Amino acid sequence: MRRHTRRIYNLCYRFTSNRSEAEDLSQEVFLRVYRTLASYRAIHGGFTTWMTSVTRNLLIDHYRRTRRDRLTDSLDDAMPKLENKESAARRPDQHALLGELSGQVQAALRKISPDLREAVILRDLQGLEYQEIQQVLQVPEGTVKSRINRGRIELAKLLEQMGLRPE
Amino acid sequence: MSWTCEQVEASLSEYLDGLLGEGARHEFDAHANHCDRCGPLVARVSGVVSGLHRLELLEEPPELASIILDKTLGPRKQKWSWRSAFEWLRLLSRPRFAYSAVSIAVTLAVLLPSLGINWRHVRLADFRPANLYRAADRQVHLVYARGSKFVADLRVVYEIQSRLLPQTEPGTGLEDKKFPQNSPDNPPGMTNGPQRNRPRELNRADQLHPELSVLASALPSAWERSLP
Repeated sequence: MRRHTRRIYNLCYRFTSNRSEAEDLSQEVFLRVYRTLASYRAIHGGFTTWMTSVTRNLLIDHYRRTRRDRLTDSLDDAMPKLENKESAARRPDQHALLGELSGQVQAALRKISPDLREAVILRDLQGLEYQEIQQVLQVPEGTVKSRINRGRIELAKLLEQMGLRPE
Repeated sequence: MSWTCEQVEASLSEYLDGLLGEGARHEFDAHANHCDRCGPLVARVSGVVSGLHRLELLEEPPELASIILDKTLGPRKQKWSWRSAFEWLRLLSRPRFAYSAVSIAVTLAVLLPSLGINWRHVRLADFRPANLYRAADRQVHLVYARGSKFVADLRVVYEIQSRLLPQTEPGTGLEDKKFPQNSPDNPPGMTNGPQRNRPRELNRADQLHPELSVLASALPSAWERSLP
């Protein structure tokens, strides 16, 4: 339960860039999963993949609902501060570097299109395989590869513009 | 035949994820190692991908799992303890609660005086519907009267100011349309411009002139009378 909660919360947070929205969406995901659990079949792929699909559908719904609000929103500056609280056991220099990277990545993710963003999040932050992403997004394999590729290249460009060059 | 830059860019992620075959990988390397454009691009995206893989999952809010369990399985019975008895105090520290409390306080601070309720001496009778209605009605009329008076005062000030301003020089093009022209045949304050039927308040400043003349003629005699 804890593992799934963290994974779903992270997926929502990386997509929305808002801690409160991510929390609400995570609750919604688990409620929907609980209500539709009977409809889950193993042929849909693993349970994790199915849960990711449910999350993705909710995120897309949420994105469409809040599109107008987002146009007037400014960038949420609180993210790096929140993320700096994590994993206090790390070495300070590594901790600072990863905290900065995490905040910059989040800011850059907000700037790329939702299609590319979700593909990059699923592949590089959630660690899903190409086939699993294909099942979640319900698009052909070629489209998945293309979106991941374009998303990574755009992300790299944006991070470079922000003056960050991860080694 | 060596790959083009477009082919390298299109296959970049497959290359980084190890999905390219041996031959394609060789072609990719052969191009990227000698291309000034693709070499840095591969290094940059490779760095970003490895950086993303190094990022750890963020910690979810501690109460999230409990909330989800409560919403799905229903509230659970908890054993009584001092800690659980004061659990609700943790809600106070949440920003959302603080924002709500502040907004409610501001709303009440604005609303209660307008309903005639003094928050220092709150009485039960203040909350009777008839009293609430009367106080709200009084406030509305007061606000309206103050607003009307303010607007009327502004008009008078504006009219005095416009009369004190020097007349616009002819030939500048501003003298003909912007302001209505005075006519010597009309009484003071009346205009022969397109806005003949404007409210009477506009002409209130014209009444000042006779009053000032009377005051000016009366003042010297009053001053003389006050001398010993």
